[in-house]
Amino acid sequence: MMERLWGENFFDPAIKNWTTKNTRSATCKRGFVQFCYEPIKQIINTCMNDQKDKLWPMLNKLQVTMKSDEKDLMGKPLMKRVMQTWLPASRALLEMMIFHLPSPSKAQKYRVENLYEGPLDDMYANAIRNCDPEGPLMLYVSKMIPASDKGRFFAFGRVFSGKVSTGLKVRIMGPNYVPGEKKDLCVKSVQRTVIWMGKKQETVEDVPCGNTVAMVGLDQFITKNATLTNEKEVDAHPIRAMKFSVSPVVRVAVQCRVASDLPKLVEGLKRLSKSDPMVVCCIEESGELIVAGAGELHLEICLKDLQEDFMGGAEIIRSDPVASFRETVLERSCRTVMSKSPNKHNRLYMEARPLEEGLAEAIDDGRIGPRDDPKNRSKILAEEYGWDKDLAKKIWCFGPETTGPNMVVDMCKGVQYLNEIKDSVVAGFQWASKEGALAEENMRGICFEVCDVVLHADAIHRGGGQIIPTARRVFYASQLTAKPRLLEPVYLVEIQAPEQALGGIYSVLNQKRGHVFEEMQRPGTPLYNIKAFLPVIESFGFSSTLRAAISGQAFPQCVFDHWDMMSSDPLEPGSQAAAHVADIRCRKGLREQITPLSEYEDRL
Amino acid sequence: MDLELNFEISRTAEFILSRNFTRVALQFPDDLLKHSTKVVTCLRNKLGLGNKVGLFVMADTTFGSCCVDEVGASHIGADCVIHYGHTCLSSTSTLPAFCVFGKASINISCCVEKLSSYFGTNGKPIVVLYGLGYAHAILQIKGALVEAMPKTKLELIFSDVMCSIINPLEDHRKSDGLQECLGTYSSGNSLGAATGTRYSLGGLTWDLPEGQRMEDYLLLWIGPENSAFSNVVLTFNGCEIVRYDATEDQLVTDVSQQKRILKRRYYLVERAKDANMVGILVGTLGVAGYLHMIHQMKELIRLAGKKAYTLVMGRPNPAKLANFPECDVFIYVSCAQTALLDSKEFLAPVITPFEAMLAFSSGSQWTGAYILEFRDLINSSQLEVRKRPEEARFSFLKGGYVEDFEPRENGDEDHEGTLALANATEKALQLRDRDPDSLVKGTAKSGAEFFVTRSYHGLEMHANSSSPEPYLIGRSGKASGYKGEKSEAEAL
Repeated sequence: MMERLWGENFFDPAIKNWTTKNTRSATCKRGFVQFCYEPIKQIINTCMNDQKDKLWPMLNKLQVTMKSDEKDLMGKPLMKRVMQTWLPASRALLEMMIFHLPSPSKAQKYRVENLYEGPLDDMYANAIRNCDPEGPLMLYVSKMIPASDKGRFFAFGRVFSGKVSTGLKVRIMGPNYVPGEKKDLCVKSVQRTVIWMGKKQETVEDVPCGNTVAMVGLDQFITKNATLTNEKEVDAHPIRAMKFSVSPVVRVAVQCRVASDLPKLVEGLKRLSKSDPMVVCCIEESGELIVAGAGELHLEICLKDLQEDFMGGAEIIRSDPVASFRETVLERSCRTVMSKSPNKHNRLYMEARPLEEGLAEAIDDGRIGPRDDPKNRSKILAEEYGWDKDLAKKIWCFGPETTGPNMVVDMCKGVQYLNEIKDSVVAGFQWASKEGALAEENMRGICFEVCDVVLHADAIHRGGGQIIPTARRVFYASQLTAKPRLLEPVYLVEIQAPEQALGGIYSVLNQKRGHVFEEMQRPGTPLYNIKAFLPVIESFGFSSTLRAAISGQAFPQCVFDHWDMMSSDPLEPGSQAAAHVADIRCRKGLREQITPLSEYEDRL
Repeated sequence: MDLELNFEISRTAEFILSRNFTRVALQFPDDLLKHSTKVVTCLRNKLGLGNKVGLFVMADTTFGSCCVDEVGASHIGADCVIHYGHTCLSSTSTLPAFCVFGKASINISCCVEKLSSYFGTNGKPIVVLYGLGYAHAILQIKGALVEAMPKTKLELIFSDVMCSIINPLEDHRKSDGLQECLGTYSSGNSLGAATGTRYSLGGLTWDLPEGQRMEDYLLLWIGPENSAFSNVVLTFNGCEIVRYDATEDQLVTDVSQQKRILKRRYYLVERAKDANMVGILVGTLGVAGYLHMIHQMKELIRLAGKKAYTLVMGRPNPAKLANFPECDVFIYVSCAQTALLDSKEFLAPVITPFEAMLAFSSGSQWTGAYILEFRDLINSSQLEVRKRPEEARFSFLKGGYVEDFEPRENGDEDHEGTLALANATEKALQLRDRDPDSLVKGTAKSGAEFFVTRSYHGLEMHANSSSPEPYLIGRSGKASGYKGEKSEAEAL
């Protein structure tokens, strides 16, 4: 019977016969329609039309009994109540979970290698593998849930082995914990263990492995996630932290309406950041407090939480959402640029060029990075990106923050004292790559080549004070001479919609500078899956426009995908990129005009 | 320009003669230096030819020209300083000083007209502050204003210049009546027993009636948009402020640029919280209490578990500060009006002692109040040894919680200062061995560690090659283009 409910199976109640083809008789219906759809529809219709005289016998047949006060309900509330009693969603959902999600005792057998950071044959790995309630405690805290009393959080997580009980002293290993060191580590006791059930919670004595648990009393020591073990288990390694595939690209500036609420806002932002591992709260150079999230909707929810839960309803003013940009270059610098130190005794010559395609992403992914073995790094660079083997050994640094997708490469030959100024140039680079010349946004995908250096013979005249500001200037000069461009963040949008809505979707996407790169019909359904790229700045208000255009037949899902170069020249007045640059500079309180090249470049 | 009047020659002579000074230093800012010889001639004539008073002209002061340069004056053994031009009227520590503000020109009728029309639209009571150069005209403005608006019952408070003679304070912490700030006082002057609150800022003092706060008043500033003005804006950031520009005869009501500074300062405080090493810049050698302030800062930084270095370098500029790349933030201990140094050119931010207190004493929070002068700061916040909260600190720069370095439990670092370098080197060497070719440097917690992580450690000895290097001919010519280079550039 079960398999006949799906696909090309038809039933004709008149002759009580199953066929695989529609016999075109009036009573012949698809199996699903006959046995699932029709009865549900009938019940709903009778409820909605208040045909109670028909309804009660039908419910009797289905062995659904309603309470007497429920029998007085009318219309939609009646329908809801009837459906809840007849086909409760919770049971169906739970059944699906039991059928399709493996139990921890099974799942942890193969999950252990992805879960545990330490050696896979130690007692902790074994305990996780066997989901052993007698083994050492291994517990991963994944989320902090705001509690009803102000400022406190439940630490929510899963017990992988052992059990956690009220009053137990646990060892908390934070995300920066390194086994054998004391960093990011503390021992505290659990005040209370709680099981969360929907919106209800139940305090229990202990929670054994295989379950989720919320703990009270640890919130001050856990910032976002942590691994918990017994107090004595000093050899345990932490459980691998969860990675999120989305990045916070949409930002709003927040400020409080009443200036004296600032401490409240600051405290609220701290707690927001704790409760949501995705959101980033930071401060701009200009002093604006920024909340960054994955998308417009995410931010909307964050700000609502911030205002209502974390700030006690104090009013906040928010700016319009803005996207962060990156600065890059299109070509190699048109000439070698030179800058002189303040004392005019030292000169740096430099050129900028774009990094090879895919290299910036490789640095982002950590395939190439400052921590690599130099031999390995030069091998990858030479084989995949066509670098010269010797050149690959001459990378001075990555930046910004020493790990970003820009680098400085030494191309000089036979320069005296060069090793002495390396640290100063690197310091200047970290500074410059964080705040590019166009709009003080991060740089991305730029390779700076140090072409030549002329230094004063006396060490005192080529100290950091002379070199660091000069290096910064020459980085900017080489960026400006290499056709600087803006990179804008782009979302990957997935929309599922029926065929008749496609036209509307296309027109909205076109209007928002998006383009569709994949359109696929879902097999067996009239629905289409559309994948498109959409610039993040255009995505503000996209969902509502889309809903309006196709009367709510589809709902888009946006995920940050990549950085896309804006083709227009930001140095050319009136271009779109120039408008963006002016916008950002105004927001940051900078001078509206980009500082001209002549400020950075010197002549002999 | 009437030299006699503008430089108050007769008052100056009277001051010198009355106190029997024999060696007098005349301190000029750069823009008034051109008048110095004439002033000296005038003054000498006034003092009488027979008088043997030594007059010395001082220029190019080490720190801000608004402060009295006591160190410069003591080079010539002067027993008093006559200060010309704009001043912050910060109290001195050893020498008495006499300040000549000069007399900036102002069109009084025009000013009064503009002001009265503006005050007509705004119902708030008003406090009038002004640049010291306009002090001479204030009485007239006051009279004219009262005359121009006889019917309105506007409350007008004019501030007074504290005193143009600065006497060194014996103990800067014991503030006398004149220096008292933000404290209530009861004066037994001719007006009777009026009680109120006395405010003083940048050499101006004024009283508010009891029960009134500064926020209830409209602030009017007469004068240019200089550091004294930004001082006022920052200190009274809750007030509505208008500025009357005397050189252009217009009222400026938009001070958003100045308000922006406050936000920027807030950012700098957040940035300072993340710092591991702090440089204390000595920005004055004259303002009373500067030594106390430096000690207080050192103690504060030590308690916060950070490392402090004290640097004396005259007026800071980007090139000088970049010589200390290991410092993550600098605290500029100077007089109130030169304290605000903000330029994007600096590698590390420069903050004021007040901001340092906000950043480094855990648990303190920015409430909007802003203090720039030492004596207020020393009075307002005695160092409290707070228990460090166990919770990790939230860093707004990194957008997440960070772990602070524990303050060193036993001050071993301090006791064996000479060995600190060696110890740190030893530790760092062990670390480096693990990852010799890494391009990433850990965050250094002290200067010694910073030097160890640098890739360059000084001249390298080539022990194995004992033969001398071949003889080479060096470059010659000027640094802007050595010989040989110039011709190359021309050939292109």
